[in-house]
Amino acid sequence: MRWPDTWTDPNLLDLLKGTAIDSLIIGNAPGLTAVRSRAVRDGFHLSESGAPPSEVEIVKGPWPGVQTARAGTGTDAGPTGRPWVDSNGWAIRLATALHSDADVWVEAEPPGNTLITDAGYLIAVADSAAYGGRWIVSLDNPLAASLAAGKSDAMAKWRKLAATAGFFAAHKAWAAYRPMAVVGVVSDFTGDNEFFSRELLNLLARVGQHCRILPKAAISETSFASLRAAIYVDTQPPAPALRKQVLAFVEAGGLLIALPKWGEVGGTPLKSDQNPRYRLSSLGKGRVAVSTADPDDPWVWAAESVVMVSHRYDLVRFWNGGAAGSFCTMAPDGKQALVHLLFYADRNPDSATVRVAGRYRAAKMYIPGSPGATKLDLVPQKGGAEMHLPAVPQYAAVELDI
Amino acid sequence: MQKLHTRREWLRRTATAAAGAYVAGSSHVLAAAAPAAPVAVAGCKTYNPGELLSTLERMFDQLGGLGRLVKGKTVAIKINLTGAPTYRLGYLPLEDTHYTHPAVIAASVHLMGQAGARRIRLLESPSGTADPIEEVLLRANWEPRDILGAAPNVEFENTNYLGRGKRYSRLTVPFGGYLYPAFDLNHSYEDCDVFVSLAKLKEHFTAGITLSMKNSFGLTPCTIYGAGAGIDEPSEIPKGGRTPVHTGNRQPSKSAPQEKDPKSPRRDTWRVPRAVVDLVAARPIHLAIVEGVKSMTGGEGPWIREDLQPAAPGVIVAGLNPVNTDAVAMAVMGFDPLAVHGMPPFEGCDSTPQLAEDAGIGTRDLSRIEVVGDSIAAVKFDFASIRNRRRAAPLPSFGVRG
Repeated sequence: MRWPDTWTDPNLLDLLKGTAIDSLIIGNAPGLTAVRSRAVRDGFHLSESGAPPSEVEIVKGPWPGVQTARAGTGTDAGPTGRPWVDSNGWAIRLATALHSDADVWVEAEPPGNTLITDAGYLIAVADSAAYGGRWIVSLDNPLAASLAAGKSDAMAKWRKLAATAGFFAAHKAWAAYRPMAVVGVVSDFTGDNEFFSRELLNLLARVGQHCRILPKAAISETSFASLRAAIYVDTQPPAPALRKQVLAFVEAGGLLIALPKWGEVGGTPLKSDQNPRYRLSSLGKGRVAVSTADPDDPWVWAAESVVMVSHRYDLVRFWNGGAAGSFCTMAPDGKQALVHLLFYADRNPDSATVRVAGRYRAAKMYIPGSPGATKLDLVPQKGGAEMHLPAVPQYAAVELDI
Repeated sequence: MQKLHTRREWLRRTATAAAGAYVAGSSHVLAAAAPAAPVAVAGCKTYNPGELLSTLERMFDQLGGLGRLVKGKTVAIKINLTGAPTYRLGYLPLEDTHYTHPAVIAASVHLMGQAGARRIRLLESPSGTADPIEEVLLRANWEPRDILGAAPNVEFENTNYLGRGKRYSRLTVPFGGYLYPAFDLNHSYEDCDVFVSLAKLKEHFTAGITLSMKNSFGLTPCTIYGAGAGIDEPSEIPKGGRTPVHTGNRQPSKSAPQEKDPKSPRRDTWRVPRAVVDLVAARPIHLAIVEGVKSMTGGEGPWIREDLQPAAPGVIVAGLNPVNTDAVAMAVMGFDPLAVHGMPPFEGCDSTPQLAEDAGIGTRDLSRIEVVGDSIAAVKFDFASIRNRRRAAPLPSFGVRG
């Protein structure tokens, strides 16, 4: 938790008793000396802003949720005209992929003097925890002041926030689940490739595509296993070994989507009347789509890649979910799938349906603040199962028995 | 039995009649002479292929047989996929409430194939996207292959943009048009011998009803008529919805025919019925099918703020003239086809059937229309009474949709 500078009373540490908060990022102002002393006595790990513990990788990101218009009268639209969602899920996953031994903390502070709602804090905690990160609890100024003053409504909000953090702490095992994916994004994610590759990860999540992050330096024999497609987004041609590996994936039936720098592909040219921005060819059992020009808009690439792969292979589909996101994972023993469902709007869905690809025997749902799990009826379908969700808050986890 | 003319013959004939009537200064002349053709009505309680196929086959036979209409021809079928495929009325599949049901599409396609159609093209301009229709269907949880495999040479085209054409087709409104003198549309609406409107039986928030004629509103590509259309030339991909056609807040791309009178009312309740009639005149409908096996009451989709309810009217209406067909469908819904502005279901809007009749497209006078098959009374599903009860009650609360 980022300790508010205005909280100079050590007794405010009592708020943290029994919560999942075990680390404090606290300033070194003299007024906080007493707080620091007692925090150490109480067993908290202390660090200063900008100097996280060595085992921690910090992701700095936006406040998650649906962007509100500057005038505060509506929502900002994204490039598609749909309300725009900020999420740090992609950045947490990238940090995990690049620093596999690190814990990922997310620094996303409430904007300005905004009063964050209960739902806003739920999204903040869940948007990090669902993807294996930990949000650095950062209170909005009005809430911090009200808590310091002991106001009851602020206490109620705090208890909910703490319960949400506690929910994820109680399900730590989920962090070991393996992400499920349809496409792999191959890049070094740095230098000239940093903006495009990272924004592509962000936007693939927005279009509902589930991806595996494949840093070039960590490509292994199993990197492309079970994927439908690979997207190569770097402006440099791949090294021969990587090229060989990706083309083997294609020949086995995969789809490669690449920039012109990928170079000659070979194979048989395919006629495409759908998208003039790519040269299509078949290679072995698979296909290659090389863009005719270097792309300047990662949104277009994200949206077009989903269609090239086809929604047929969607892992998750939503109905009436509003601005929703999802993260699919599989238990290490392969006996359960876990789907994190995130609903980013402040107003929660009252009749959402979610379809998850695969065959399942049973489903149950976990919600922060609710004891135990709720059984969900599965509506079997070809290639998947639908679940009709009751009114749910901004986060729910669905556990599916395989 | 109305003889099917080629589009060119139809345009010439209608244009001559319309011009004569307008010279005479009376739309009543046209209304009195507006064509009348038989309309087939059939109860159909389920989407089971056995019941559906035999029902549709019988109805087409009652209209003179599909072979006379489609044998050796390229048939274009405009289906109705209004709204995003992520919107549902509660937990119900889209096809059970507001999308044309895929079983009806497949059955119609199958029968047209059997009747010798050379090529069958399924058309729609889905909300805000240039994605292939197949991808939209997958997101709706449909299997496109079930439709593509229902007959030989079946294909989809998204008509919300240029699509597979090299240029837009300019289709003129033979009677001069209420709002637009002509439209620039996707080539598919010109490159066909037979045009079919395969619609859903529903009320409509703006236009009172949406039947075979209102289905044509979706002919307009959003690259030209959408909120994000290009100013001078069409945009490459569609952006935003058809607000400009609804409200007249901007003109189509300058490359397309502009509104006849930019000072005419900007009210959607005035404009939408007129735009629909202009479109129906520009792209004549040879076969109108209104599917009401299952539907909804209260509006055209789940985004409408009314007490929306699923409904199972269990009826299909089909005819060779869209005005006649819609008039019969209105009667099946418990509405008076001769209703004018101020009367249900046109309490707040102008009557599309009346405007179409005035334009000489077809009569809405039931005494002039031969109803074949089941009687209207036998299959009546009283939308009108439900509408009256609904309008007497307060508006319901509205949850998250889409």
